[in-house]
Amino acid sequence: MAGRAQIPTKSSALIAMIADEDTVTGFLLAGVGNVDLRRKTNYLIVDSKTTVKAIEDAFKEFTTKEDIAIVLISQYVANMIRFLVDSYNKPIPAILEIPSKDHPYDPAHDSVLSRVKNLFSAESVASGRR
Amino acid sequence: MMEDQEEKGNAENGIGRQKQVKDEYLLQFLDSLDGYLTLLDSLSSTLSQGWLELASARHAMGSSRINGALLDLKVHAAATSLKVSEQDVDSMESQPCFTLCKWASSDNGERSSGEEKSLSPQLRHRNNSQLSGIISSPVWPLPVLVLLKQDFSKQRQKSLSVFGVLVSPMLRSAQLSFERALETLVEIANLRSTMLSMFEQVHKELENTNG
Repeated sequence: MAGRAQIPTKSSALIAMIADEDTVTGFLLAGVGNVDLRRKTNYLIVDSKTTVKAIEDAFKEFTTKEDIAIVLISQYVANMIRFLVDSYNKPIPAILEIPSKDHPYDPAHDSVLSRVKNLFSAESVASGRR
Repeated sequence: MMEDQEEKGNAENGIGRQKQVKDEYLLQFLDSLDGYLTLLDSLSSTLSQGWLELASARHAMGSSRINGALLDLKVHAAATSLKVSEQDVDSMESQPCFTLCKWASSDNGERSSGEEKSLSPQLRHRNNSQLSGIISSPVWPLPVLVLLKQDFSKQRQKSLSVFGVLVSPMLRSAQLSFERALETLVEIANLRSTMLSMFEQVHKELENTNG
């Protein structure tokens, strides 16, 4: 899972964002905004008009770009494309689910936590004791 | 008779050591899991603070002066980026280690050495204010380099200039809050790597025990 894949070392990698307007604006103020020669940005502002398809495309694009090391995604947005987020298991870019203004963070929905919580399922604990 | 007892003792020792290693992985896993949740809680408060300050700035400056339509869409490189290195956990496993390089790009796109913070779980209790002004100390995994405050404020000002020359002090506060959130996020990313790596180890150990 995390350790098996080859980890490319990079001296300058980007942080991508898929989040609401205020979260993206805040992180852009912190200097993470990047616009490349093709005028492609490293963020997607999600509002009521944004389609699930657009979010999916942005997620796929950010997770396949080699210069991105972390993808920040608001948890409520991640819930819209949960099947994609849960099936992603590469170490880089790392997907981090963050809270948004109107939707507090819920650990029960976090893809990483749901992956590791299986360890504590009754079956695993019982077999470990045997 | 003596040999039998010695063999039995060695086998017990081996099992004991194996159990110790397994417990160690499990403890590290639980520790990283705890850290992950604690940091996410801290991130939630930092972000709430940032949103509140951004809303105050919007109230002071007007919503037409702070909105997504004003964002800079000209070609430019990110001023804050990440350094990704590989960190060996043991001979078999390796995990990515993220280091935040704050305000490391200059106007012409060249990269200057900005503040470089490796926010590993081991350093998470360190007070950041203690770090400013200190030039690289050889602490694992990577040194902390600090730029002059002037260079920082120039870069910060450039980032704020999207919203005008004279901006609300609340917008500056929001900028600092989101910078703090970014530092926390890099710590979370490092803990996440540790957690997944330890999870793999524990899982393997469990499989070996069952097999």
